[in-house]
Amino acid sequence: MALRLTVLSFLISLSACLPPQVRAQARYTLTGLVRAANNAEALPGATISVPALGLGATTGEDGTYSLSLPAGRYQVVASFIGYESQSRDINLTRNQRLAFQLPEAGNQLGEVVIEGSGTLEQKLQTTQMSVERLTAREAKLLPALFGEVDILKTLQLKPGVQNGGEGTSGLFVRGGSADQNLVLLDDALVYNPSHLFGLFSVFNPDAVQSVDLYKGGFPAQYGGRLSSVVDVKLRPGNPEKFTASGGLGLISSRLTLEGPLQKGKGAFLISGRRTYFDVFTRQINRLNEDDPDYNPIPDYYFYDFNAKANYKLGDKDEVFLTGYLGNDKFGFNSQNGFNFDFNWGNTVASLRWNHVFNPRLFLNTSASLTKYRYQISNKLDQFAFNLSSDIRDLTLRSDLDYTPNNRHTLRFGVTATQHRFGTGRLQAGSQDGSVNFGSDITYNGTEAALYASDIYKPSEKLQLEYGLRLSGFQSGSDAYGGLEPRAAARYSLTPNLSVKGSYALMYQYVHLVTNTGASLPTDIWYPSRKSVQPQRSQQVAAGVSWLLGDGRYLITNEVYYKWAQRQIDFKDGAQLFVNPDLDAEFLFGRGWAYGNEVYLEKKQGRTTGWIGYTLAWSKRQFPPQRGTSGINNGKPFYPTYDRRHNLTVVGLHQLTERLSLTGSFVYTTGNATTLPAGRFAVQDVFGDDLAAVPIYPDRNSYRLAPYHRLDLGVVWKLKPNRWFLESDLTFSAYNAYNRRNPYFVYFDQVRSGEDGPVTSYRARQVSLFPVIPAVTYNFKF
Amino acid sequence: MLSNVKRSLLARKLAGLLVLCGLASCNLEQNIDVDLPVLPAQLVVECYLEDGQIPRLTVTETVPYLSAPDPAVPTDVTVRLTLANGRVETLRFLPGQNAETGKFFTHTGLQKLVARPGETFRLEVTDTKGRRVTGTATMPRRIPIDSVQYEFNSLPPGQREAYVLTKFQDPVGVGNYYRLQIHRDSISEDPEIDYDVEDRLTDGKQITLGTSYRFDPNDTLLVTLYHFDRPYYLFRQSINDAQNANGNPFGQPSSIKSTVEGGVGVFTVLSYQRRQLVIK
Repeated sequence: MALRLTVLSFLISLSACLPPQVRAQARYTLTGLVRAANNAEALPGATISVPALGLGATTGEDGTYSLSLPAGRYQVVASFIGYESQSRDINLTRNQRLAFQLPEAGNQLGEVVIEGSGTLEQKLQTTQMSVERLTAREAKLLPALFGEVDILKTLQLKPGVQNGGEGTSGLFVRGGSADQNLVLLDDALVYNPSHLFGLFSVFNPDAVQSVDLYKGGFPAQYGGRLSSVVDVKLRPGNPEKFTASGGLGLISSRLTLEGPLQKGKGAFLISGRRTYFDVFTRQINRLNEDDPDYNPIPDYYFYDFNAKANYKLGDKDEVFLTGYLGNDKFGFNSQNGFNFDFNWGNTVASLRWNHVFNPRLFLNTSASLTKYRYQISNKLDQFAFNLSSDIRDLTLRSDLDYTPNNRHTLRFGVTATQHRFGTGRLQAGSQDGSVNFGSDITYNGTEAALYASDIYKPSEKLQLEYGLRLSGFQSGSDAYGGLEPRAAARYSLTPNLSVKGSYALMYQYVHLVTNTGASLPTDIWYPSRKSVQPQRSQQVAAGVSWLLGDGRYLITNEVYYKWAQRQIDFKDGAQLFVNPDLDAEFLFGRGWAYGNEVYLEKKQGRTTGWIGYTLAWSKRQFPPQRGTSGINNGKPFYPTYDRRHNLTVVGLHQLTERLSLTGSFVYTTGNATTLPAGRFAVQDVFGDDLAAVPIYPDRNSYRLAPYHRLDLGVVWKLKPNRWFLESDLTFSAYNAYNRRNPYFVYFDQVRSGEDGPVTSYRARQVSLFPVIPAVTYNFKF
Repeated sequence: MLSNVKRSLLARKLAGLLVLCGLASCNLEQNIDVDLPVLPAQLVVECYLEDGQIPRLTVTETVPYLSAPDPAVPTDVTVRLTLANGRVETLRFLPGQNAETGKFFTHTGLQKLVARPGETFRLEVTDTKGRRVTGTATMPRRIPIDSVQYEFNSLPPGQREAYVLTKFQDPVGVGNYYRLQIHRDSISEDPEIDYDVEDRLTDGKQITLGTSYRFDPNDTLLVTLYHFDRPYYLFRQSINDAQNANGNPFGQPSSIKSTVEGGVGVFTVLSYQRRQLVIK
């Protein structure tokens, strides 16, 4: 009851911010859409300014803006980095719409801009801190592993973001684990955003428009995960004409088709890609099928499809449809009757309805479905074994944006998700029926939240953003909930110097069940129920932003401290598959992380790029509990992704109009890992299984060697010809100086002869990728 | 213009260089030096009592992982075994090797053990440094094998192979653990089949364990079904997990769940039934 009153009074206090309608007299609203002239793509993050009044606004994710201005004659300027600015004169005597179509910058500098979304000036002025925005167009310029552009891996080059291991796309943000990231695709949740055990993310760069990564200071509309929000937006199709684009790469190819729907009414985009390892491995297997000693190479491929369509129902209504379907398929068929198939993938669909009540009031309502599942099928002679797990969400959400005046921007919303957790389905049997047993464990849960927030600008120097989110979760007879306050502030000390601060509290009601320390396709999601309570974290951050060199450089320094309760891990030897009493396998602890992130970026000119350095600590502690000694005997330990130092240097240089050189360098402290310190021998009952059994010291007490890598690339834009409007060749060298970075270390026995006695033990370091050159051909026609 | 051409040529050369980089060697494993903490040496006990057999056990010590592979056998260890009837027997330090199985032991009793299901035994191992390892073990009930059958596949004679099905009844109540071993000809050889199962999903039901088509006509198979308790199962699981974590980049290190206290190792009483099956 008290909780309800608190929320109610907060919402009432927010509504008190709304000025009486009479104040709006003699003010009118200017709204419109900013698009790229060449492909009619909406441009989120573009700036609309009225220099005479010193007022401005930024376009939202759909490229629209709204400005409240007093009646009068003005010059309105639209600008977006990489595009030529446009100005228009208007006489504002009523609410008015004004659209812009910005041509690409004539000097092609747009092609070497790393962060096209948002100018450095905007970054200085915004209240929002701890956020990184990247567009697919920018990510495509940087060298990539196998030439496969991956927008999530590009985010790993930002300060405060760690990867999970060599080549993987998992994000570990400010001491949080990979399952604590809220990954959204057009507002729909994606549970497992990776292909091939994390080596590639599920986001096809041809279909993605941009991604925003929030590391802290989370706006109130986001919730459900502790550590970060990865908000991926698919780009809308070309509303003017039909185009096709694609790419031929070392390991995959891509094709995208897009075009208008009832010209002027809408547009569609369909994009697909598929790897072709399996085409080569099948040929190799076929060539060796007569060799009795040959072990066939397993089949592996992945594919994904993205689709997006938008359609205007009228002046005030537009609907957006987004779909994603991706699958990884791994198969092995041996000649001795052993068949193994392993399939996993995500399905996402969302339908959003955008309604404009008036230029100051927008409503977005969406319904989405998301599903992740895996299935393992084994067949050995007459025996068959199937194991599968899935999670399926149905979500409804509604967000209301209201801009009563230029001082307040209000947002309210409500969301509800119905989860179904299929934590384990097992079916085992034989063809003759002599063996037959199965199990099916399914739980349901409902997650709901409502929120309200306000961006308030009391003066030119001070800007505040505050909000409150009330979230809850119910599974069976267990119910949990809590208030999640969010707050951020920016104060401008001088026109070029701002200080910022933020606070956020987050709850996470669903938990990843894994004891591998990494995100794998076999991950299971589990609801808060019985003894498994929601995870909770709080984060405070403070920072300073300084615009230097006539606005060409921005240096930002942020310091943060994050503390989390009810973090989860699992007992040694926990039975995580098909366990009806999975609750009993959980262990609970706390985590805390702190650090400092320095970030220097340059966005304009022939040479652009950034330098980021992070000094950070992350720790976890699981005390003795549930009949165990906890983890690490209850002592604090560093998670494997704790990295003390992390330096990234990213540079792009426009050599000629058609030629760009790109490079990135990464240096990080080595992974924390556990190596056995001792051993003992066991013989088993008959003495036929003499083995050295490792004894492990404190968890993650050993550091692998530091990781560093240089990637180089060349982007060569080819001249348009009768076939292609645009095309380019992208050359890249991943790990250009061929550094043997440690992936893991293991201990090995050295024997005298092949089957002789053990003479000594040694430590071996395994690296994953040597230098990998790649070339990709991209085209558009 | 000229500078643009030069830049273009430079870029082409650079691109070519990037491709040539791929010719670099791909040796992705290397020996490294590691600095490991030194753990205090603990006594390691491995003792499987068996009805009708002379009690024997092995007492060794834990050693640094990268030390020489020579066995660390302490010579100052006293072993006392308390039998089910309360009598305490001191096992002699007499290192040796079982002639039949090749298994090493350090301490041995004098007379054959009598053990019945439900009877409890205690073990105490001490040394002159003050280390003391104790353990208690109760013999589980013997679970009879209901049937052992084989079935040939449909390949032509001379190529056909058989699978084996072993059936037994799990008692009502979760918490029973089994190990199935199938040896070919003799138990002194490595088993053809060796795996553990638990009754978590098959409580109170008849359990059928099968093999692939792998046995030949005229094979003589020794099928052994062990029934054991949770501590011994957890010990076996933990040593498997600890071994698998070495060399697995996704593995988490596992602590050893010993059935003894004060040291490392296992003390248990074996309970099994063995059947002979001849493939004809």
